[in-house]
Amino acid sequence: MKFIIFAGTPGSGKTSLIKYVIQELKSDFKLFFAKFDCLRTDDEKNIAQKYGIPTAKRLAGELCPDHYTALEMPKIIQQNQDKDIIIIETAGLCLRCSPYIKEGLGINVLDITSGHPNRYGPILTDADVVAVSKGDLISQAEREIFRYNILDVNSNCNIEEVNGLTGEGAIDIAQYIKNSNDIDNKKLTLKHSMPSAICGYCYGNKIINDKAVHDRFLKGKELKSLIPNLNCGKCGFKSCNEFIRAVLDGKIKKEKCPFLLNK
Amino acid sequence: MTKKIKKITIFSGINKFGKKENFEKIEIKQGEVIAVVGPTGAGKSQFLYDLERLAQGDTKSKRKILLNNETPNKEWKSNPRKKLVASLAQSMNFLTDLPVNNFLKLHIQARGEKPNLKLIKEVIIEANEITGEPINSEMNLLDLSGGQSRALMISDLANISISPIILIDEIENAGIKKEKAIKILVKEGKIVLIATHDPSLALNTDKRLIIKNGGIVKVIKTTLMEKGTAHYLNWIENHILEIREQIRQGKKIKDIKLFCEKI
Repeated sequence: MKFIIFAGTPGSGKTSLIKYVIQELKSDFKLFFAKFDCLRTDDEKNIAQKYGIPTAKRLAGELCPDHYTALEMPKIIQQNQDKDIIIIETAGLCLRCSPYIKEGLGINVLDITSGHPNRYGPILTDADVVAVSKGDLISQAEREIFRYNILDVNSNCNIEEVNGLTGEGAIDIAQYIKNSNDIDNKKLTLKHSMPSAICGYCYGNKIINDKAVHDRFLKGKELKSLIPNLNCGKCGFKSCNEFIRAVLDGKIKKEKCPFLLNK
Repeated sequence: MTKKIKKITIFSGINKFGKKENFEKIEIKQGEVIAVVGPTGAGKSQFLYDLERLAQGDTKSKRKILLNNETPNKEWKSNPRKKLVASLAQSMNFLTDLPVNNFLKLHIQARGEKPNLKLIKEVIIEANEITGEPINSEMNLLDLSGGQSRALMISDLANISISPIILIDEIENAGIKKEKAIKILVKEGKIVLIATHDPSLALNTDKRLIIKNGGIVKVIKTTLMEKGTAHYLNWIENHILEIREQIRQGKKIKDIKLFCEKI
């Protein structure tokens, strides 16, 4: 089974491109498409109707949509063991959380009019394929400069120019999908750690000028710089972030981390 | 330095109804200008797209493209710094907020070369041969008129862009001297393909490909008579540009030329 994640800012043309890619793949493969969003979407219905493939939607509501995507992905895989290719479209909001996994294929749909590529974090820098959209709106010189700037932040990616209106480039994206690795029975890992819940706002705190909240954040930030994020589990926690939270809550001493820097 | 493309060979594919195209192969040589004509929706864009992605029977049209009599090296497609085809789309404005000289410098750098003041100067000089409103190196790209932007895009394409093949999707009357523009592009040994409905452009070429129902139905070699017609139409258009410029300068129009002079 192949597992494909499309990420990109809202309006970059993810859904339009995905439609053309599904068109390319649907006669040779059993597909499943899941659309993630925050509040509402009907794309999954449109795609099911137009292309006759099974689809689903997942609305994150109160959760960070990318954290939610990571939480839901294993369930989607479990429920679709009979499929050849699963395509996930993320809500694509914060650029910092993009939930690409090492074992699958991560595709960033990047709007060429959206400014310098060095503004983006992992959503671009961790992508395997960068699908540049809306290239017809700017000059060849600007297209070449944009390409160069992408390579500057992600030198390993493949870059394809795509057009969500005409379907240009969809064949190439479909080819990358066909050539991507199978995830069968492999342990799935995120390409990078998502931002850690250390500041208190992730737990629903609303006061922003409270000293205790701020101190906790500063202490958490300092711990983040001392703990090398190996997620080795030797402290008894599953991840370094969980360990940091326990230290902040006073449940454990930071020296429990065997790799603590500047002990 | 980019490898020279001396010849492109196009082997026939199929039209929209699955019928084989009416030719065995078409050859285009370095320095040639080819018009691609046909009604809207006939398949001009598909043809340009086949060239752009160096189709190997893997696109809708099933056409096959050879470069210099060989199956194109994969690198032409995969190496992002070696794009074979550059295109001049219908966009009329730059989106980059930079002075002309800094922008050209950036584009040269994006090609992996050192800034070259002589080249920058030449690009501006040639752009000014195409437009009636002079551009200087200190002007901001965002302040250029449609005609100035277009002229700069073309001169940049001819002098700085890496790609040996240039696809032009209709140069409409943007206040530029079209005949001059094509001359500058071809001078650099590029192959130019123009999809157009414009008679003065379509006849100012070496050959024109007639496209109907998704297939190439005819290849017409431009006759001497047709080239003369193009020349005459161009003279009229340039005369219109002259009058336009005089009106913009607040001058009164005193005479109209009725006879085509030698340009």
